[in-house]
Amino acid sequence: MYYIILSILFPILTGLYLLVRKEIKDRKRLLTITGIFLVISGALVILALCMAGNGIFTLFNLTERLPVLFRIDEVSVVFSVMTVIIFLCAGFYSFVYMKHEEKEKRYYGYYLMVLGVLIALCFAGNLITFYLFFELLTLSSMPLVLHNGSREAIMAGLKYLFYSLSGAYMSLFGVYFVERYGNTLTFSPGGVISAQAAAEHGGILLIVCFAMLIGFGVKAGMFPMHAWLPAAHPVAPAPASAVLSAVIVKAGVLAIVRVVYYIFGASFLRGSWVQNAWMVLTLITVFMGSMLAYREPVLKKRLAYSTVSQLSYILFGLAVMNEGSVTGGLLHVLCHGFIKTALFLCAGAIIFMTGKTKVSELRGIGKEMPFLMWCYTIVSLGLIGIPPTGGFISKWYLAEGALASGIPGFNWIGPVILLISALLTAGYLLPLTIQGFFPGADFDYSALKKKEPPLLMTVPVLILTVLSVGIGLFPQVFINYLSQIVEKII
Amino acid sequence: MIMLVILIPVIAGILVPLIPFKKRSHMEIFLETLVILNSLLVWNLLIHRPESVFTLANFTGNLSVSFKVDGMSMVFAGLVSALWPFATLYAFEYMTKEKHEKTFFTFYTMTYGVTLGISMAGNLLTMYFFYELLTLVTVPLVMHTLTREAILASRKYLYYSLGGAAFAFIGLIFVIIYGSTTDFVLGGVLDLEKIGNRSNVLLLIYVIAFMGFGVKAALCPFNSWLPDAGVAPTPVTALLHAVAVVKSGAFAIIRLTYYSFGVEFLRGTWAQNVVMLIVMFTIVYGCSRAVKETHIKRRLAYSTISNLSYILFGVTIMTPLGMVGALSHLVFHAVMKISSFFCAGAIMHQTDKHYVHELDGMGYTMPGVFGVFTVSAFALMGVPGLAGFVSKWNLASAAVESGNVIAYGGIACLLISALLTAIYMLTIVIRAFFPVKDFDFKTLDGEKDPNWKMLVPLFVFTIFMIIFGLFSAPIVNFFADVAAGIY
Amino acid sequence: MNIVRNFPAVSILLCLFAGIISSGLKKKMAGYVNTVLISIVGLLSISTLFYVLSTGEAFVYVMGKFPAPWGNEIRAGVLEAFMALFFCIIMLLSLFGGRKKLTDEVEEGKTFLYYVLMDLLLASLLALVYTNDLFTAYVFVEINTIAACGLIMIRQNGRTIEAAARYMIMSLLGSGLLLMGLCMLYDLTGHLLMSNIKEQVAFVYASGEYRIPLLVTIALLSVGLAIKSALFPFHAWLPDAYGYSTVSSAAVLSSLVSKGYIFLLIKIIYRVIGFEIFYESRIVDALFAFGLMGMIFGSISAIRENDIRRMIAFSSVAQIGYIYMGIGMGTQAGMEASIFHILSHAATKSLLFVAAIGLTDVSGGSRQFIELTGSGYRNKWAGVAFTVGSLSMVGVPLFSGFVSKLLFAQAAVQNDIKMLPALIVLGISTILNAIYFMKTVIRIYTPLEDSKYGSITFKNMKLYVAALVCFIILNVALGVSSQPIVDLIGQGLAMFS
Repeated sequence: MYYIILSILFPILTGLYLLVRKEIKDRKRLLTITGIFLVISGALVILALCMAGNGIFTLFNLTERLPVLFRIDEVSVVFSVMTVIIFLCAGFYSFVYMKHEEKEKRYYGYYLMVLGVLIALCFAGNLITFYLFFELLTLSSMPLVLHNGSREAIMAGLKYLFYSLSGAYMSLFGVYFVERYGNTLTFSPGGVISAQAAAEHGGILLIVCFAMLIGFGVKAGMFPMHAWLPAAHPVAPAPASAVLSAVIVKAGVLAIVRVVYYIFGASFLRGSWVQNAWMVLTLITVFMGSMLAYREPVLKKRLAYSTVSQLSYILFGLAVMNEGSVTGGLLHVLCHGFIKTALFLCAGAIIFMTGKTKVSELRGIGKEMPFLMWCYTIVSLGLIGIPPTGGFISKWYLAEGALASGIPGFNWIGPVILLISALLTAGYLLPLTIQGFFPGADFDYSALKKKEPPLLMTVPVLILTVLSVGIGLFPQVFINYLSQIVEKII
Repeated sequence: MIMLVILIPVIAGILVPLIPFKKRSHMEIFLETLVILNSLLVWNLLIHRPESVFTLANFTGNLSVSFKVDGMSMVFAGLVSALWPFATLYAFEYMTKEKHEKTFFTFYTMTYGVTLGISMAGNLLTMYFFYELLTLVTVPLVMHTLTREAILASRKYLYYSLGGAAFAFIGLIFVIIYGSTTDFVLGGVLDLEKIGNRSNVLLLIYVIAFMGFGVKAALCPFNSWLPDAGVAPTPVTALLHAVAVVKSGAFAIIRLTYYSFGVEFLRGTWAQNVVMLIVMFTIVYGCSRAVKETHIKRRLAYSTISNLSYILFGVTIMTPLGMVGALSHLVFHAVMKISSFFCAGAIMHQTDKHYVHELDGMGYTMPGVFGVFTVSAFALMGVPGLAGFVSKWNLASAAVESGNVIAYGGIACLLISALLTAIYMLTIVIRAFFPVKDFDFKTLDGEKDPNWKMLVPLFVFTIFMIIFGLFSAPIVNFFADVAAGIY
Repeated sequence: MNIVRNFPAVSILLCLFAGIISSGLKKKMAGYVNTVLISIVGLLSISTLFYVLSTGEAFVYVMGKFPAPWGNEIRAGVLEAFMALFFCIIMLLSLFGGRKKLTDEVEEGKTFLYYVLMDLLLASLLALVYTNDLFTAYVFVEINTIAACGLIMIRQNGRTIEAAARYMIMSLLGSGLLLMGLCMLYDLTGHLLMSNIKEQVAFVYASGEYRIPLLVTIALLSVGLAIKSALFPFHAWLPDAYGYSTVSSAAVLSSLVSKGYIFLLIKIIYRVIGFEIFYESRIVDALFAFGLMGMIFGSISAIRENDIRRMIAFSSVAQIGYIYMGIGMGTQAGMEASIFHILSHAATKSLLFVAAIGLTDVSGGSRQFIELTGSGYRNKWAGVAFTVGSLSMVGVPLFSGFVSKLLFAQAAVQNDIKMLPALIVLGISTILNAIYFMKTVIRIYTPLEDSKYGSITFKNMKLYVAALVCFIILNVALGVSSQPIVDLIGQGLAMFS
């Protein structure tokens, strides 16, 4: 039991410790301390997953009817394992990358805190606990966005903050109603809304459900509240962008999974106007995100738009609400998490080594850092959905689920848009590969030098690449595990 | 006993200019001792509550000046007496830079007694009585600096307050005429037989009286005195204009609504809708003005305006749960706002900076103050785990429970306001802790945290914010008992 | 026959005699005579009051040997005796408060005249209070007017003469209307004694004839007295008359003279026309409406004023509006409130005038606000007194003004139609009062760096301070223990009919 609380509090407290303690002059010492903290945090999470079991762990009562409680279920496992892996990779990567940024101590402090808060989100057992850490997530991750302190970064940070908070408050609006009409806020597969409550207050419940979807959807960059994402992700230091874009946005996805399948219940929503509206929003986001990414010249921004689009793949899967699509969505959570981290880390490494940010400046980059660019290319293929990578499997399930859903209109529009978006994905990711490896005949090869980044940068990228391919090679392991979840909630 | 706790501060205040203190510290010890003593007496009184009504004097007819300690009194008197000693301690330090200290402490201490008088008043007339008195004893405090600005502000304050009281007075008259008594009885005292078919008139009068008392609670459109009154020394702004005075307005409205007119009479009428809409508007209006304001204290004052209307929103829901929400925000907001005001005061005291844009990077030179400020900002936003969340939760769940569609809109207003709160509070925090890239820290040389007299109150309030946020059940249960009429 | 029954008549005669004697005395002696006179009259009134309270009914004292329906009568009930007592107290305190100032304001050789006029004024006021026949009333109304003009004019500067002339013209206009009213009443009824007229009026009214003449009569009487007591819009004479005369004159004029007329009006309503008949004529509504307007416009004029004395004078217009609003309510409660307000306003307004003079004295004699800055510190007593007076006017609890506001509002609630206008105007007028009075209070307590005026010490103004303290006590007494007085008023009104 106490492993849970330990795994949450340890990173938060160590993060706080780093924040308040005096400046550490010796950079090596700082890195050693941070590294140890990171590893221990990761170990504690794994320990918690192994030891804590399935029980409910109530920490204390916020008010009489609002307990703060934790519980580990399969969804927690999926999200927390992904979080830990990505945080460790990006964390070690940043030991190198952060050399050219200031105020490293502050960065690691918030980085650890965000990790703790994310773990808490994964383990949260009821909506109010979830909400608590959701707000803390916004507050603790905001400093990562505005880390470099330029005016642009600060404005982006504020934008991130206010978008996220307004989303959080929209969902809070729903929480109030759910607390009253559902009898509990504890997550339970299939929802907590009784048939009676659904009959009596169905109208208002659908409205608040929609409000909560939009609200939590802000974090997941869902249209119409997506504008913060392309502004906030690129200005952060690259490893921070990676975790923001790969994990922190997943908190929004997790929130929606919890709200839709564990609070309202799929059966309550299926066929309602909320489901339709939600699907429309996700499809718009998928298409729009890809289009914007396609037109974007700056690499990191392009990746951020890509996140907007890819997250809505997941949300679309969740919105369709049948076995295949939900499995696909959850699998895409993992794929996208690993792939997007790898992509951002690559972009970061390019910036770190060359200082170039625009795609058009990067001709011939494949000759300079071939290993990194190979990794980039592989994960790009994964995101596009070319077999045998993980992305193919998840998109397959998504499309199959949508086709099988039988929802008129969406059962064919959905897959079509996903396909178009996949083409666009190829369109915005592959030019870098092409220009990088085949800069053209007129290119001056003599200016190039070997610039492969240090091991601490390449190894995390390699690990993530392997993982993303691994999902595609051994999909059954993952599908089996996810279907346990899906069985319960559909 | 009740008279004693009211009189001790008043007499102590009067004595301040009369006793020739040899040293300043003697006066500090004298006042602090008396204030703490009085607070202890108040708490003692609240714990061993006399059941009977204590009548001081008969006024005219069946009107009397009488006192009674009931649940509401316990909440408000308990709050005030808990905060006053800390605020006095803080004021000692703050006032070292101001003139006419003795006059200041005279009225400052007298206000304590008068506020207790409001809280323990046993009937509407007595409350009205102390309510007017409160205006009068606080005006010299607003005027304190005697600059032209201060005098204009105090005039405005006076006109608004007295004018508001004049309309509240009309409500008083109606309760006298149409009520069976003017004593405070949970559920109201109106005599329905006497009212007959005049209920619409009475509702109109309720709205008028609500607005009248609402002036002190800075209800829009009568709110502009509050930011202007911020020219007063910070202990005054913090304690009086965030707690004692404005909360008296809210307190009076609770009394008026729940104890005199009675919610049974009001619920579901147009009067309820009208006041609720006004309150909702004020919630959003106050916040948006706060966002635009660049002067720290004025920004906080606008924030107070909006937060006071949270309380009033709870009142206008007109259910026992609504009252619980109102009471919890009454208490919690007091702690949050006094702490943020004290931070602003500490900044002004230490550095003479008054505007938000001057605060860049100060989180590193005054970590204590800005740490507390950050906590209070989070609390005001309603981050779970801090006091503000609990009171908002109570308000919102009361609104949901009431089933009133306008109240649903009120929840939306609360949340919009929470967002705006985040904007105006966090921009300060972000400036302080995350200055722009090439910020020159040398400009901040020589700035440091204030001494213990200022920091102790701040830390105590912070602890309270966290305790209220995490373990609110006992105190919220107590509010529920009050709302159910158990006390 | 109890000796006390002679007291009312004796007090009137005493005043007249004192006036005659004083005209031959030196200034100091005249002052002493005046003080003694007022005290004696006060004592006589007290004994009358107790007598009436003990017997429980009013008594009529026939002057000379002609019985009714001819001859002159004096009638003393609870209310009359109490009013007489109260008038004495206020007059005495006002004179004390202004005594020191008098030497500056009035020429050396004319001081005795001042006291003569005061004696006459008291005589006429007592007569207005006690009289039971309209002819005597009219005679003393004229004496009152003349005495008041004298009191205004005795401080000789250009403005007072102008003010007195204005006052004279307006006042005589009022007297003329009053006289016409009385004539018509005499035509209708053939009587001059109040009780007889009332019977006849009731008879005529019941017969249904002469409705219009009766209405006109009531209108003439009301308007005549309204002009004399400066009801809006007939108040044009007031600010100068109160603003520029000597301080005691201003205090006495504003708190007693106009109140004497109002009291006479109330008496006419109850004892001549009859309450119901008066109420059924729509004149009450007019009085009510003008009262409300007076409350607002008087205060607005006061806000615009830059001269403290004139400001207080304009405030009187507003306060008289309150009184007429109470009368215009047409209920017993309204009337009671009005009478209480006569008392409370008398106590407060004279306090304000007296306090104001103390403040202007330490500001180089200037009455402009700008010069008054910080005067509350230079003359502490006057400052406190002015603050108390202002708070009372604004209607802060503990002071008399609050009680009258309470009574007015309670009375208003009982009248369904007039309730809302009355209450709302009451509220607005409170705000307006607050604006100009509190502005002044803040002004006098705004310290002035290196003031060019010296402060004044307690030694130099013992009598003045004593007067102020008494006024404050009176004010607070009215505010705190109002119940006996309200009861007394109720009892007195009951005796009227």
